[in-house]
Amino acid sequence: MEVLATLTTLMLIYSLYLLYKFYSLKLSSDCYLIDYVCFKPSSDRKITTEMSGAIVDRNKTLGLSEYKFLLKVIVNSGIGEETYGPRNIIEGREDSPTFDDAMLEMDEFLNVSVGDLFKKTNISPQDVDVLVVNISMFSPAPSLASRIVQRHKMREDVKTYNLSGMGCSASMIGVDLVRNIFKSGKKTLAVIVTSESITPNWYSGTDKSMMLGNMLFRSGGCVMLLTNDPARQAQAKMNLKCLVRTHIGSNDDAYNCAMQKEDEVGRVGFHLSKGLPKAAVRAFAENLQQLAPKILPYSELALYMYRTIKQMAVKPKDSSSSAMARINFKSGVDHFCLHTGGSAVIDAVGRALGLSKYDVEPARMTLHRWGNTSASSLWYVLGYMEAKKRLRKGDRVLMISFGAGFKCNSCLWEVNRDLDDGDVWADCIKNYPPQSLVNPYMERFGWVNDHTEDSFKQSEREFLSTR
Amino acid sequence: MATEPSPQFLNSIRLKYVKLGYQYLVNHILTFLLIPIIITILVELARVGPEEIISLFRFLNELDLIYVISSMLLVIISATFYLMCKPRPVFLVDYACFRPLPNFRVPFSTFVEHSRLVPQFDEKTVRFQIRILERSGLGEETCVPPANHYIPPTCSMATARDEAELVIFSAIDELLNKTGMKPKNIDMLIVNCSLFSPTPSLSTMVINKYKLRSNVINFNLSGMGCSAGLISIDLARNLLQAHGNSYALVVSTEIITPNYYLGKERAMILPNCLFRMGAAAILLSNCRREGSRAKYRLSHVVRTHKGADDAAYNCVFQEQDSEGNVGIKLSKDLMAIAGEALKSNITTMGPLVLPSCEQLLFLFSLIARKVFKSKRKPYIPDFKSAFEHFCIHAGGRAVIDELQNNLQLSDEHVEASRMTLHRFGNTSSSSLWYELNYIEAKGRMKKGNRVWMIGFGSGFKCNSAVWKCLRTVKTPVDGPWSSSIHRYPVEIPDVVKLL
Repeated sequence: MEVLATLTTLMLIYSLYLLYKFYSLKLSSDCYLIDYVCFKPSSDRKITTEMSGAIVDRNKTLGLSEYKFLLKVIVNSGIGEETYGPRNIIEGREDSPTFDDAMLEMDEFLNVSVGDLFKKTNISPQDVDVLVVNISMFSPAPSLASRIVQRHKMREDVKTYNLSGMGCSASMIGVDLVRNIFKSGKKTLAVIVTSESITPNWYSGTDKSMMLGNMLFRSGGCVMLLTNDPARQAQAKMNLKCLVRTHIGSNDDAYNCAMQKEDEVGRVGFHLSKGLPKAAVRAFAENLQQLAPKILPYSELALYMYRTIKQMAVKPKDSSSSAMARINFKSGVDHFCLHTGGSAVIDAVGRALGLSKYDVEPARMTLHRWGNTSASSLWYVLGYMEAKKRLRKGDRVLMISFGAGFKCNSCLWEVNRDLDDGDVWADCIKNYPPQSLVNPYMERFGWVNDHTEDSFKQSEREFLSTR
Repeated sequence: MATEPSPQFLNSIRLKYVKLGYQYLVNHILTFLLIPIIITILVELARVGPEEIISLFRFLNELDLIYVISSMLLVIISATFYLMCKPRPVFLVDYACFRPLPNFRVPFSTFVEHSRLVPQFDEKTVRFQIRILERSGLGEETCVPPANHYIPPTCSMATARDEAELVIFSAIDELLNKTGMKPKNIDMLIVNCSLFSPTPSLSTMVINKYKLRSNVINFNLSGMGCSAGLISIDLARNLLQAHGNSYALVVSTEIITPNYYLGKERAMILPNCLFRMGAAAILLSNCRREGSRAKYRLSHVVRTHKGADDAAYNCVFQEQDSEGNVGIKLSKDLMAIAGEALKSNITTMGPLVLPSCEQLLFLFSLIARKVFKSKRKPYIPDFKSAFEHFCIHAGGRAVIDELQNNLQLSDEHVEASRMTLHRFGNTSSSSLWYELNYIEAKGRMKKGNRVWMIGFGSGFKCNSAVWKCLRTVKTPVDGPWSSSIHRYPVEIPDVVKLL
């Protein structure tokens, strides 16, 4: 009967339509990075050796042991002469930051970079559907996300998310948030803004564990544009393959190793404990355990299983880490963006992954040129690779970052097309890598190591009497 | 003496029936259209006679097996894909609010006395604070954290963390108890607290205390104002669409310890008088088995951001006054801006929730005004036909009055908001959950009831969420209202004389 035939045809058409809908749903869970723009502060914000010395000198509560400690930190930090700081510190007002100072620091970044991104990608602010902002240590009301909405007159139905307190790995948390929103299927354009606020967080006390932050953090930021619209794939720079977040906050030591709190006298600072490297290692190991199966080719995984079994057969009781079979991450990853937490962090991660000097070069150079810009540092590292023309179509880039809590977040990107945009590195890339990474701090302030307590106090008295 | 009902009264009754009839007709139009189709089919069948029907069955029997199987397969495949494409339901399994102990209370006398003793306040400031409190609509049982009971308040990061631990952990403990949920089974965690954001975040604090899994998806929202609770719910919904068979824990709170304003700017004093301690923990899930025990299902969330308008952006602004004290400045046109934001929000919300009859009326009125240039006032849809209960953010008396006026709500509709403001004060993003608990505690929440939650926040945002009740909530309800619900509702005077 025709009725039956018609009904069957209708069912067929409907099921084909459902298939198409299901397929498009799967497709729109893709996450494309269209472009990103890093922030380059104005050159009058550069922090030189002289300036650092002056800043340290201004804190009259510091004694000789603190000076020695600071010297050691800054000499070994891997930070160069071209990093940037916030205005109030450069102007000598680090002890009494005002709310306006903090806002100014944010405005200098937001007013430049967000507009630059729109210009670069030819997108209108009214096209933005989702805005994610993460600035860990400054969270005014209304949020900085609202500030961006106001400045760029975004739509009324824009979905804003203001993440705060999430540490140095927060830019990947922003990517995770956007990725989850993309899975709903609707074609969405998302902007992620990441930076850190240094102005209100200067530590003016003598607790050594809290002074590290002062020495290492520098000004920087990044704005990224992502979408799940397959029509924009040609324009996109990279495609997100996988993202793994690990949080070991359930462990008390890990939770307490990086914490913002008051010292004995009541001054607020960022405390970094001695247990931090251990927590980082644990979080890193757990993250890699989840990440490896997702990013490595089956051949490498099979090889690793074979090596482990062989080892267990030969020495079944030996389970020390040095005897464990090594897994070669370079088989599935071409480039490594490591969090520039400090040269110790970069070295440790490089050793753990079996990386060469060439692999860790982008991270080291970023640390030298920009310092530790917290969550945005990964994007400066990516910018270095791009400026050096290392990123070719099909290459896979692994980003790893750590954050207070303790978190380890990592993600794998696949490069969509040959990239050669220098962005903020364009003017100085030819000077990198430099002949030597040694900074002039030892040369300039090495005399501190020659002093004892008494001679230090004596020289201080002499210095003050000549003023 | 029995009197004849007046003609106006009779007319109004007739009108009422006409209105009811119209509503019933438009809302069930599809059913009404189906009736003639069914009648035609029956008539056709009767006419055709039984032999044709039997021959039809014989024909079906003669069909190839493969034909039958492939059609059945097609049906099954379509059904599967249909189910897979459908958005996952978001169930509210249960929620719990922080129950402040009586020793945290700040009755009027305490407030007045403390204001006088704090050295930073001069007499003018004290009198202004008292005047605000007199007209605030707050009662004598609202609570502030321990640090604010000191004179002057001992606001530090450590005491702020203490308050956070107190309110958040008690709310979560109660929720886990109520639902029998094990912390290891929580897949997502979202914490929102606008004015206190330490590093590591409050969400990490929760992960540490309850030993959540290392792959828990957590987010910490901050600076997003009093409507941030609904933003967290929206985010949780997105996460639950992306991952199946998951549980999401949402914690909404406002930590007021570090935000006590110690200056003299009048526009910044208001939050001291209104903000009180509170927190709520909500468990959401998309597991189908939770459908049987869940209290509510999330129908819609609509977010509106008026930040593009400069006046809206600046009307609630955190800044430093001339003496260096940080506080939140509220501008005078806050109510007008709130009204505008609400209008934008309900323009989007309306088509999603209003019954067809109201939408049709609104459409006709729109056509009349735009096409025929009629001078009649715009038709404001009757939202009372779409919702049984309203939870309006207890931001302050003026906010509730403004919304009651705008949406033409009765006193009973806004009772939950007013009573929550009286009993708990403005607890920011968690206030909506105290209000929901009030409605439940009063035994008014029945199966099938729809609740509209409206929150306002700095930026300026207006967010709303619609929940549908899945099972009648039986009294007595164990919650923050357990000890006081029998005294409510109370009559709240316009001004309570304190001086």
